[in-house]
Amino acid sequence: MEYLRRLMRHNDAGIALSAGLLFVGCALSSESFLSAYNLFNISRIVAFSVLVALAQALVLVAGGMNLSVGAIGGLATITTGYCIQVLGLPGWLAALVALGIGSVAGWVNGVIITRLQINSFIATLATLFVFTGLVHGFSEGYAYTDIPREFTFLGRQKFLGLSNLFWTMGLVLLATHYAFRHTVFGRRLLATGGNQEAARLAGINTDRMILLSHVLSGGVGALAAVLWVSRMGSAQPATGKDWLITSFAVAIVGGTGLAGGRISALGLLLGAVIIVLIKNGLVMLEANVYYEQAFLGSIILLAVVVSRVRDLYGGRGGG
Amino acid sequence: MLELQSISKRFPGVRALDDVSLSFQPGQIHALVGENGAGKSTLLKIITGIYQPDAGRMLFDGAPLRVRNCRDCLDRGIGLVHQEIQVVAEASVAENIMLDKLDAFSRWGRLDWPRLADQARAAMARVGLDIDPQAPIGNLSAAHKQLVQIARVLSAEARVLLLDEPTSSLTEHEAARLFGILRQLQEACVAIVFVSHKFDEVYQIGDQVSVLRDGRHVGTRELAGLPRAELIEMMIGRRAETASFGMPVVNRAREVLRVEELYAPDRAHEVSFSLYAGEILGLYGLVGAGRTELARLLVGAEQAERGAVYIHGTKARIGSVADSLYKYSMGYVTENRKEEGLLLESAVRTNLGITIWERIVGKFTRRIDDRAETQAAQALVAALDIRTTGLEQEVNHLSGGNQQKVSLGKWLAAGCDILIVDEPTVGVDIQAKAQIHRLLWDLAAKEGKAIILISSDMPEIIGLAGRILVFKDKQIVHEIAEIHEQGLSYDEVSRRIGLHLN
Repeated sequence: MEYLRRLMRHNDAGIALSAGLLFVGCALSSESFLSAYNLFNISRIVAFSVLVALAQALVLVAGGMNLSVGAIGGLATITTGYCIQVLGLPGWLAALVALGIGSVAGWVNGVIITRLQINSFIATLATLFVFTGLVHGFSEGYAYTDIPREFTFLGRQKFLGLSNLFWTMGLVLLATHYAFRHTVFGRRLLATGGNQEAARLAGINTDRMILLSHVLSGGVGALAAVLWVSRMGSAQPATGKDWLITSFAVAIVGGTGLAGGRISALGLLLGAVIIVLIKNGLVMLEANVYYEQAFLGSIILLAVVVSRVRDLYGGRGGG
Repeated sequence: MLELQSISKRFPGVRALDDVSLSFQPGQIHALVGENGAGKSTLLKIITGIYQPDAGRMLFDGAPLRVRNCRDCLDRGIGLVHQEIQVVAEASVAENIMLDKLDAFSRWGRLDWPRLADQARAAMARVGLDIDPQAPIGNLSAAHKQLVQIARVLSAEARVLLLDEPTSSLTEHEAARLFGILRQLQEACVAIVFVSHKFDEVYQIGDQVSVLRDGRHVGTRELAGLPRAELIEMMIGRRAETASFGMPVVNRAREVLRVEELYAPDRAHEVSFSLYAGEILGLYGLVGAGRTELARLLVGAEQAERGAVYIHGTKARIGSVADSLYKYSMGYVTENRKEEGLLLESAVRTNLGITIWERIVGKFTRRIDDRAETQAAQALVAALDIRTTGLEQEVNHLSGGNQQKVSLGKWLAAGCDILIVDEPTVGVDIQAKAQIHRLLWDLAAKEGKAIILISSDMPEIIGLAGRILVFKDKQIVHEIAEIHEQGLSYDEVSRRIGLHLN
């Protein structure tokens, strides 16, 4: 019992266990699951989901939320397409411009939240529509399909059996882990999310922390978008429409507390594996894909309930 | 009518109420006074079932009273009006009054508005209010909202009315009106319990007064003919148990902080004073006198409108707590450790290290030196005798006293030249209290730090501070200097403080 209790308190252990069970379950129930192509494909989707979730988690950890994460992705997508197809910029420059636009969009969110003192839910709900409108207006609904082959290097090629997307994500997660475990910036961000007033009175510029968390969120969201363009070989204005639920599902299952102050890079990876395997499993089970959102929504709910139960019985509560 | 017998209540690390027996009679207004943390609100919460007592019992009309929640309590005729105004701003006055019994006005789920309005009007009449019951409550003044809250409690046929600092959001005129209504209720044989920090009010309205101190019932007196000095003495105590630490080593040549005519509306009204190296300066005053407000202005958590602050002789611009800490080496240990002082779900190590990260970070890697952080945290845990299972334990799980030590330790780690300490021992057990006192003394006497000690604990402030500024209505009304040099007795100092509190 004591052992179970300790295991329960260790966030990542439970998530790893669930991910492992799911993996074995998928492998046993389908022969094609362990095929090289399927694993390659799953690694790509996992990588992509992790980045989308990280864009959300960076804000959650500081005690806020970013509903406009998908719209920022959309902005970055059409920026990439426009720069390449219309302006004829080289791919790397187009990607940089897209990252810049994403960061600026995040900065706008941050400024609204910190300067106008509007809570992040309302602020990003509004900018969700503003950014989406800009995407539609600017692209007029058309995709940019004239993307050169070199640009798909990250999205379609692989290295040591895993997609380049996966390695990119790995680097980003390592940086995330380092930042939150070891740097002043990361730990101040955690402190801000843990107790904003206490952090402020301990000499932390909490407004700046929140602003930066949104800039980073926009930047990471844009990175996910650029990689998506690279994978698809075209820049679709509809990119980002389905990001919101993925971002919350992965982040929450991955142990990033909704209340702020907690994040785990490994958890995000495992959370993405769980969500992607469940989606994959649903396809294999030939479940009606139109119900997919209902499943994801239920998983979010389940993850929140599990973390609540852990708080109550794992010895967190009270003092 | 309502009788409390030997009520005790413990919270982790502190005895909130210790064997308290009180009785409240119909037609009497009973004032309840005491310093912060004396146990007043805990007592109200026990009467209304928000907390359950560990020991003791309550009798209501001679029969044992057990309340599990607010509903129970109202059903039995005991109503509590909270200090903060709690109304549903968008709803009408009538709904707010009948909020807890809207059921009674529904017919097949449809509200009977005319009847609701009639009953609300009747309830308002009892507190002398004549406003449209249909009007939304949000537009009313604070006083009217407060009266509506009282009307709500009375409409439940309350026979005992508990008021927790009911005048804290009222103007003098509004308060006077409230008192008129309380007198009418008194004639209608309602038992009224009135928590207040304002002596004028207590004398104006109360019949008896009961004093709580450190969770104990000090005494109950008839207010008529009770000298104020005696009441103050009951409140602040004259315990002789204050340890003497000897003579302070104040360096008058080194003025580390000078405040000149600092002004911010409702926070500080033309406050001026100086602070020297090695000095412990006490700020004494009743709750709301403006001491915490001053501290927050000094460290930049709030901005002043006028006035100047000089640190080490040069004019300081403090725009945020970060400026205060990193530019001027001035720290603030907050009064409210849970809300403002600690990251409750974080490790002891993180809470202690938060102010030093900037100092122990690698230049290029931006990596915090784990070993340096661990060493600093371990040194503090040892020095402060923090009882913890390890540096990784969440501060949530520590007792109140140990939490307070962590909150204090964070600022010790920062190595501030000037430390403002706000009520450092509220809710802390006696042993931890003594340790914290010793520590503050040593900081000033041995390390030459300058300390501003905000405290409502008279023995604490007289034991530690060499000079005391008395605050009232956001101003300094008196200064008692050279307490140690002149060898002023505890009685003498507390008498002089008491004189200026009136």
